[in-house]
Amino acid sequence: MEITINKSDNVTTVRMIGRLDTTAAQEIAKDMAAVEAETAGTVVLDCSEMTYISSSGLRIFLTLRKEAAVRGGKVIVKSISNDIRQVFMMTGFLNLFQIED
Amino acid sequence: MRIKNTFDSLEKSIKKRSAWSGVMLILVAAITLEATGLIQYFFATKGLQEEAERRTNSEMQQVSGEIENITYSVEKSVQSMSWIIGRELSHPDSMFIYIKRLMEFTPAVANSAVAFVEDFYPSKGHWYEPLIARRENGTLESIVLGSESHDYFKSSWYTEPVRTGKGCWSEPYYDESGAKTYVVTYAYPVWDQYDNIVGVCAADLSLGWMDDLLSSINLYPNSFSKLVSGEGKLLACPVDTSSVSNPLRFSTPVRNIGWSLSVGIPEESVYKDIKRTSFLVMLLQLLGLLLIIFILRSIVNAQMKYKKLSDKKEKMESELRVAHGIQMAMLPNIFPPFPERDDIDMFAFLDPAKEVGGDLYDFYIRDNKLFFCIGDVSGKGVPAALVMAVTRSQFRTVSAHERSPLHIVTAMNNSMSDINRDMMFVTFFCGILDLLTGHLRYCNAGHNGPLLIGKDGGIRQLPVIPNLPLGIMPGMAYQEQETDLVYGEAIFLYTDGITEAEDNDHRLFGEERLKETLTKAKGSAMDKLSKLKAAISSFVGKAHQSDDMTTMLITYMNDKNPDSFERHLILHNDIRQIPQLAGFIETVAQDARLDKSLAMSLNLALEEAVTNVIMYAYPQGSDGLVDIEAVIRKDSIDFMVIDSGKPFDPTAVPDANIESALEDRPIGGLGIFLVRNIMDTVKYERKEGKNLLSMTKRI
Repeated sequence: MEITINKSDNVTTVRMIGRLDTTAAQEIAKDMAAVEAETAGTVVLDCSEMTYISSSGLRIFLTLRKEAAVRGGKVIVKSISNDIRQVFMMTGFLNLFQIED
Repeated sequence: MRIKNTFDSLEKSIKKRSAWSGVMLILVAAITLEATGLIQYFFATKGLQEEAERRTNSEMQQVSGEIENITYSVEKSVQSMSWIIGRELSHPDSMFIYIKRLMEFTPAVANSAVAFVEDFYPSKGHWYEPLIARRENGTLESIVLGSESHDYFKSSWYTEPVRTGKGCWSEPYYDESGAKTYVVTYAYPVWDQYDNIVGVCAADLSLGWMDDLLSSINLYPNSFSKLVSGEGKLLACPVDTSSVSNPLRFSTPVRNIGWSLSVGIPEESVYKDIKRTSFLVMLLQLLGLLLIIFILRSIVNAQMKYKKLSDKKEKMESELRVAHGIQMAMLPNIFPPFPERDDIDMFAFLDPAKEVGGDLYDFYIRDNKLFFCIGDVSGKGVPAALVMAVTRSQFRTVSAHERSPLHIVTAMNNSMSDINRDMMFVTFFCGILDLLTGHLRYCNAGHNGPLLIGKDGGIRQLPVIPNLPLGIMPGMAYQEQETDLVYGEAIFLYTDGITEAEDNDHRLFGEERLKETLTKAKGSAMDKLSKLKAAISSFVGKAHQSDDMTTMLITYMNDKNPDSFERHLILHNDIRQIPQLAGFIETVAQDARLDKSLAMSLNLALEEAVTNVIMYAYPQGSDGLVDIEAVIRKDSIDFMVIDSGKPFDPTAVPDANIESALEDRPIGGLGIFLVRNIMDTVKYERKEGKNLLSMTKRI
């Protein structure tokens, strides 16, 4: 998995490319901790090139979401594939995140 | 026991007896040898004695001859002087002339005189004895003797001839007045023309010269000679004989004067050489005898040693024969091994280079799966055979509760590395063939790769990862591989003794010949391997077999289409291995022709189940394995995740509440939830120290 982080004004965009499995989740944990600090503003998780997610990835998403709730920011999940949408649905994440196409 | 004791005592008594007879034999030999020496000595001394006698006699004859000559000449001179004086009695004063003449002609004579009977010449008085003495300077002095103080009428040299009318020799006496030496006197009567005895002619023979003569008899060191008169008076003895004890004595008479010449030779002078020689000979004989005893002893000892050794060798050989039997009995050796089954045909043989060897093979069927292995212990002979036995029993023990070759090999490697003090290693190949599906899982540990033989005889190499042999590195991470056998396809396993069989010119049988032989060989597994064996032995000829030879041929004979097939993956408890799982699921999905979405769901469920094991089953930092099995059927896929970690039942964990509000939702707990949601059934079982999580997905 590769990620790129872009900051402009109050919006932090994280582009996630590839499979977010347990191994990848560990690899990006440090970078994502930096993104957590930005959750007072808007964090956009660009998932247009993310092909897979497991519970470890979901934990990262949920952690960001909880942090944003505390800091008064928001997390937008953008362009998830149908398969990943299925997982979001299964786990109730569709109700927790603002999902945009 | 009693019989053994009897044998022991019998053996002891035989040993004792043979020791005694040996001593006796040596004694007899010694006695015979020394007796021979003594007899030789006896005859040699006798010979020496005879030789001494002969030599001495001849010498004595010569000396006595000389004495006889001298005395004879004195006798003749005195007798002729007596005859002349008998004719010239009328000239008493001319007597000196005749005496002088005698003295001149007979130099051995010291004094010579004529003594006349009482008052023969009235003018000369009662005694008349004209005498000439030879002085030391050689001059002759004429003296007239005969007086009251020198009354020759009483001397025996005078009285004897007068009485007997014959010449006679006196006993030796010291002549004080004349020669101042020991002398003997020859006296002869003088007759007048009327045959009356009128006087006596006498000559003193000095005995000094006899010492010189006798000294010339010197045949042996310290020998001595003696001249003894008729009355036993010693006439001459040039050496002191008192120190000589018990000499050999020889004597001869000096005929005309009744003397006796004798020679004494000290025994040691005669026998010194022979004694020394005999002593040396006997010493040498004894030494020789000792040498012979020593040699005999060494020979006997060597023989006994050899006998012991050969007994030991025989014992060892018989033990090795028994060991060979035991080793062969360890291996399955009844063929065909599974006569009730028509889905497999197999044969194997093991030819050890020595009585026992380090090759092994083994196989058995459990749950329709053929577990098999082949191995080659480094080294040969008994040490290799012991390791072979350990390896074979390890295989049986470990494989009894394992379903994967990787697990079997890993467990065997760990336990054998622990006990491997002598750095003996085992190249090993282990496989499990599913007889229902033809699916073959295998794991190699440094063994040469097996060959796959197609139904048409085509041969290809089974792809193998070499890995390390067993027993070298504990904790070594081996890798498992898998493939599928089709009907009629066979796997051929062998040890390097086959390809490295040498002929007399040290050429190797080699892989090419092996493949060629296997391609041509037709018939059952047994037929094929018999043909291979024949080909090798005809190639090798009379060359010595240098290595164990082992082969195993397994032909898969199930022609029914399998209603299921299996895929396997084994991961270490390392989170970085998770991506491998994705590849595995992709293969399974392709094999089962699943769509992408379903594949992703299955991937997700498996990842959650496997991650759970990797993170929590084993203690932190320790190595552990996770097995993932997929059995693909027509309408479902059965997954099983297996670990040997601490007991944990994920199905007992309550579901996460996905309805709860954001602030109430826990961060974790989604993994098991996902598994349950994706899979149709999820079951947990704890069996033989393992956690088995079975999951089924209908397709």
